[in-house]
Amino acid sequence: MKFTGVDDVLIKLESAHYIPSREIATVVFLADATSKPILVEGPAGVGKTELAKAVARSLGRELIRLQCYEGLDEAKALYEWEYAKQLLYTQMVKDKINDVIAGAETLAGAVDRIAAQEDAFFSERFIQPRPLLKAISSDKPPVLLIDEVDKSDPEFEAFLLELLSDFQVTIPELGTRKAVNIPFVVLTSNNYRDMSDALKRRCIHLYIDYPERELELRIVMLKNPGIHGRLAGQVVDMIRAIRNLDLKKKPCISEAIDWARSLISLRIEGITPEVVLQTLPMICKYRADSEKVKKSLDTLFSRV
Amino acid sequence: MVGLILNFVSACRASGLRVSTAEFLDCLAQLDLVDISDEVQFKTVLSSNFAKSRRDRCRFEQLYRLFFHELSQIPASSSPESMGGLIAELVEVLREGADGDVTYRAIIEFLSGNPLTFLAELKRIRTEEHPATQGGRFNLGPLASRLQVLVNLNRLRNMVAHFINANESRLGFDTGQNLALYFNASLDTAYTLLMNEPRPPGDDTREVTTYRQHYRRLGELPFSMLSQREVEEMREVIVELVRKLKDMATRRWASHSRSVLDVKKTLRRAQRYQGIPVEIVFRHHPPRKAKIIALCDVSSSVWSAARFMLNILYSLQECFTKVHSFIFVSGLAEVTAIFEAHEINLAIEKVLREAAIEYYAPTDYGETLRHFKRDFMDIPDKKTTLIIMGDARTNYFNPEDAILEELRERCRRVIWLNPEPETEWNTGDSEMLTYKPHCHEVRQCRNLNQLIDFIEDLIL
Ligand SMILES: Nc1ncnc2c1ncn2[C@@H]1O[C@H](COP(=O)(O)OP(=O)(O)O)[C@@H](O)[C@H]1O
Ligand SMILES: [Mg+2]
Repeated sequence: MKFTGVDDVLIKLESAHYIPSREIATVVFLADATSKPILVEGPAGVGKTELAKAVARSLGRELIRLQCYEGLDEAKALYEWEYAKQLLYTQMVKDKINDVIAGAETLAGAVDRIAAQEDAFFSERFIQPRPLLKAISSDKPPVLLIDEVDKSDPEFEAFLLELLSDFQVTIPELGTRKAVNIPFVVLTSNNYRDMSDALKRRCIHLYIDYPERELELRIVMLKNPGIHGRLAGQVVDMIRAIRNLDLKKKPCISEAIDWARSLISLRIEGITPEVVLQTLPMICKYRADSEKVKKSLDTLFSRV
Repeated sequence: MVGLILNFVSACRASGLRVSTAEFLDCLAQLDLVDISDEVQFKTVLSSNFAKSRRDRCRFEQLYRLFFHELSQIPASSSPESMGGLIAELVEVLREGADGDVTYRAIIEFLSGNPLTFLAELKRIRTEEHPATQGGRFNLGPLASRLQVLVNLNRLRNMVAHFINANESRLGFDTGQNLALYFNASLDTAYTLLMNEPRPPGDDTREVTTYRQHYRRLGELPFSMLSQREVEEMREVIVELVRKLKDMATRRWASHSRSVLDVKKTLRRAQRYQGIPVEIVFRHHPPRKAKIIALCDVSSSVWSAARFMLNILYSLQECFTKVHSFIFVSGLAEVTAIFEAHEINLAIEKVLREAAIEYYAPTDYGETLRHFKRDFMDIPDKKTTLIIMGDARTNYFNPEDAILEELRERCRRVIWLNPEPETEWNTGDSEMLTYKPHCHEVRQCRNLNQLIDFIEDLIL
């Protein structure tokens, strides 16, 4: 199934419990229509990872996730030979090997005969597919989430670029595998380092910023069904006001959602300075940030 | 449509956005797929193809506004007396006032509906360097170039008013007013472009602060306030610390990289069990191949912090492929060789005595960056982490932040360590907020605990 248009994306994502901006919906539609990967950037917690998951849910596709980190290599991302299994099998078929080399006149002859059987050990059976190979081999087009690609090494990025260009990989012992279906690819980045121009050129770029007020309100209400509209409004306004302070770690969407949730469970009906003080750890991760919020309480409340 | 988008791409390129032909074609193809009467969809197609990072986005926003909202659409010049005809006439009059001044001609082009030269001129002003020899040592270089544009804008404004006055009887009041309105609006737009250069917002630079207390008393003391005895004590602590860090690094790598089978060892061990490979042995990954370039401000206040950083970096040399180190005050000197030839503490003593540096000159970050660009630009590569340790106090010299931006494009990461408390960043002559947007990470680094946090992040 594909998206039929931008409005279709809006509707389908929302029914998958993700509320996109029109910009997000446009990019998702384009990526689906042109089979290009999306490169998503934005501050932590604005829904980059969640977007990929939501696309998978809304299209009813499998989500395959590759979490990137420094030192991630092809073996971890693509496939590995199962050495242990191979070795075990060699032991189990030891007698058979004797049969194979029986009658060989020279050592070289014996080796040749074994080599002729090599294929048996480098076959599907002994390969352990990792996310990228899984994504290519899948018979239904999956959603491939390559999360935090900025954490990976430049070598890995170059490898990824090749893969994203032709969606095929060559396994020396088995030959070339080409994707049956081109996966819907989402790469996310937190700007730990800059991605190469070449990779960026392959992708449609999406920058997700903190959402507009209305959008955030809808998200908070969606994730906290039954919340009173007035409380949700206060939560969003306060979070947005705090975001405007010069903080090290600004509260993101998930903080708004979680804060609203805990206020509900505390049976708090309206936000007062006391409530903010009591629940501050839910909003600010750093002590210095908490201090700033405390100092700015008056202005925060006059603005809201 | 194709022509319009092509013009916009030219404007993007003139302003320094790198848009490839492939991206232009992608954009055209995608415009066919969406409803371009919905501005969100139209703009999204453009931005997602032409501005592929947060940093490019701000420039894109400005250009988009200029191109699709502000740039006055020049009416067709159907007859000499139509608005279009009058505009063309006045542009010609203004053109005659040109005296070889590049910016003047760029503005005339801008007024006649072609912003490319003007945008390129702004880009030049933004990125040009101001070597000390050209009297541009103080932060006046860029200001002088801007001033030149301002003077021309004013001059043109006056010429327009003068033309309208002189031709009032021919034009009539209303037409004269409209003509003035048209030109003044365009000149205002040019003025705004000049004065509101979109700097990257820097909100994607990570500011790292940690509160982990690795060492209680010594860990919290500001480097700049250590007594001689505490400096000694610090060295001992660092020896112990380095051992711990190396241990952690090896262990981390060992567990991370069990990917390559060590055939030799596996077979050798298998012999113990009648050839059954009970134990599978994996090869350990070599240590990470990161290259480090450390640029250290060694003017008195910062040196105390820089020396400990250099100490730790060189003690951990085997975690990196190479550590290049430079020190600077008003000029720059490479000290890598000193560290490679001597024991660390001796090297640190020697650095200050032997490097060709004027310690008592005022620190000049701009000159440092210019010098680095001139002589060492071949060192950084995509595996390099550039670490700058300094208070960013430029003594009001030109900060040359465009060079730092250029460096960023060559490096893997740029990290700025500032030994001043954050509350003092950007007070007085500190250009910390000017440099910050070009860094991937900025950190306060004024005591051992903060330094340890940084080093742990670097090697683990
Ligand atoms: N547009 C949205 N609609 C619904 N929930 C959202 C949206 N954006 C963010 N969220 C919520 O915020 C949380 C954090 O999002 P996440 O994707 O983990 O952020 P990121 O990957 O950008 O750091 C998600 O678990 C999700 O519940
Ligand atoms: Mg995420």
